[in-house]
Amino acid sequence: MAEVIRGKGVISGIAVGKIMLAGQNLDGYLVHYKAGSKEEEKEKARAALTAVAENLRTSIERLKKQGMVEQAAIMEAHRMMVQDPMMEENIMAKIEETASAPHAVLKAAEAQAVLFEQMADEYFAARAVDLRDVGKRVAKFILGVKEPEIGDEKVILCGREIEPSVIAGMPTENIAGVLLGSGSTTAHAVIIAKARAIPTIVGLNKEDRIDKIKDGDHVILDGERGEILVNPSAEERARYDERIRKQQELAAHYAALKDLPAVTPDGIKIDLMANIGSHMDVDNALSYGAEGVGLFRSEFVFMGRQDIPNEEDQFKAYKEAVEKCGGHLCVIRTMDIGGDKPLPYLNIPKEENPFLGYRAVRISLERHDLFLPQLKAILRAGVYGKAAIMIPMIINVAEFKKVKELIEEAKLELAHEGKSYADNVQVGIMVETPAAAIMTPVFAKYVDFFSIGTNDLVQYTLACDRGNASISHLYNHFNPAVLRLIRRTITSAREAGIWAGMCGEMASDPNAAVLLMAMGIHELSMSAPSIPRVKEKLRAVSSIQAKEVLSDVMKMEDADEIKAYLQKVL
Amino acid sequence: MTQEVVTIENKTGIHARPASIFVQTATKFKSKIQLKAKGKTVDAKSILMIMSLGLVKGTEITILADGPDEADAVKALKDLVDSKFGEE
Repeated sequence: MAEVIRGKGVISGIAVGKIMLAGQNLDGYLVHYKAGSKEEEKEKARAALTAVAENLRTSIERLKKQGMVEQAAIMEAHRMMVQDPMMEENIMAKIEETASAPHAVLKAAEAQAVLFEQMADEYFAARAVDLRDVGKRVAKFILGVKEPEIGDEKVILCGREIEPSVIAGMPTENIAGVLLGSGSTTAHAVIIAKARAIPTIVGLNKEDRIDKIKDGDHVILDGERGEILVNPSAEERARYDERIRKQQELAAHYAALKDLPAVTPDGIKIDLMANIGSHMDVDNALSYGAEGVGLFRSEFVFMGRQDIPNEEDQFKAYKEAVEKCGGHLCVIRTMDIGGDKPLPYLNIPKEENPFLGYRAVRISLERHDLFLPQLKAILRAGVYGKAAIMIPMIINVAEFKKVKELIEEAKLELAHEGKSYADNVQVGIMVETPAAAIMTPVFAKYVDFFSIGTNDLVQYTLACDRGNASISHLYNHFNPAVLRLIRRTITSAREAGIWAGMCGEMASDPNAAVLLMAMGIHELSMSAPSIPRVKEKLRAVSSIQAKEVLSDVMKMEDADEIKAYLQKVL
Repeated sequence: MTQEVVTIENKTGIHARPASIFVQTATKFKSKIQLKAKGKTVDAKSILMIMSLGLVKGTEITILADGPDEADAVKALKDLVDSKFGEE
């Protein structure tokens, strides 16, 4: 019998593969490290330096063969840092102090990095990053944390913390699953995994369950049940084979829909687009048949760093996303951050009620040092395709007018700086407050589009915290009040000749998609793996039938009644 | 002991890539090689020491070598700096 380990399944699906430990944050490993005598630690450090240099040499050879000369040269510099006489000397001195090889390595690298940082020249100061990277590499070797090496075999990444770049940096076809120690379902790693439909289980730090999983173990990961079978027997494996087969059949069925348009039998076309959290998700989104990006959550550009991302950094990320969308639209939502997602450089005080507080556009309109570089970066990215700007949390027209003024200011600055930008970037609002939804007939005079953010619209309309389990039965996008606000928004758009879309969870509900189509929505944006199921439904129901269903639904008084009715008739 | 003074001419100075080429070249020789700049003398076979000097464009450096192949070593390193490390 294989041991069964339980966690919280956050992305369903079954994965089979070999465990690869890929923790990037070493704190968890350092706490559990058991050091030997000082002499033993010194020997471990020396052995690690030699081995890491050897590994680097192999990577360098591979990079050279692939013609990646610049990358090879950087790796070469890393290798020399690892083998540097001064590095070794410093590590040995730190072992005398700390009596632990991995701690000593990290401290020695950190001390050297700080020296670099203090240099006047910006370029040299930036090399501190290389040193920290090198320190981490060597410490990881001592701690037994593997560097994710891409092989032929599918792996299941496992770590107390996994940096998003690790998952993002590997081709999707190489990652069968993800096991995460921390319990956060909104960790960047989880969000990236979700966009790629990689089965994922989190929360394995509880009782140190994650330590039972060793590098190289063969496991079955059941993302639906949150179960992990370590080194399963042949019989156990066979039990899962049937489920895996069904999963593959469904995937193949959906893959066949990829290039078909989302058109109803009577010819109504809906654009199905993807919600993404990073420019790195675009390729994957397109592979599910997404016709562009309906929501690029730009806050990821702002998170996980110590300072305000500059225009150039943002420009690169947006440009890549816009470019990859080809001729399709790429809607970039400006920063949607508040007291619930604190950023060290924003200094937002803790608030009683962050969802009703100082957040999103309310910050952007006060902090031009944040907002202008973002607007400029999007306008510049617009040159490389079809970009759109979407403003979150709008409650009145005055806010939108101010945004438009700032966009003009951003254009002026760009013109002055001689940078090229797109003049025809669409500017719309996210309709996620009841105030905005009610006022859509007025907003329609000023905006280029509406995108309904149902996650917050439901929460604000029903005064119902979507994260609170004890009132989750009240949170329902089929609530008649919510449906009326949505219909009002779509009708306002139709009457003004602009487009209306949706970028909340509701858009990925196939039955809801039919109702929205009947209301006259133009576009639905969702996490890419949901696209095929929504498309399949839309291709099966005519707009005439959908309108009949809608007319019945609008007479109903209760969300649960509507939901049950839709399940019955659709 | 052989020594030679050269000025760094490549745009970005001796950052990671040129420093690694410099050290790679230096380690080919048996002689003890040092680099003197900004009032400091460091081991020319240590990339960290060289990088920690922060050698930007226009800095004057002295290459010193002491050993059986000192003349060749100094010449090779001087040529490397003069060639701007193959940049530009």
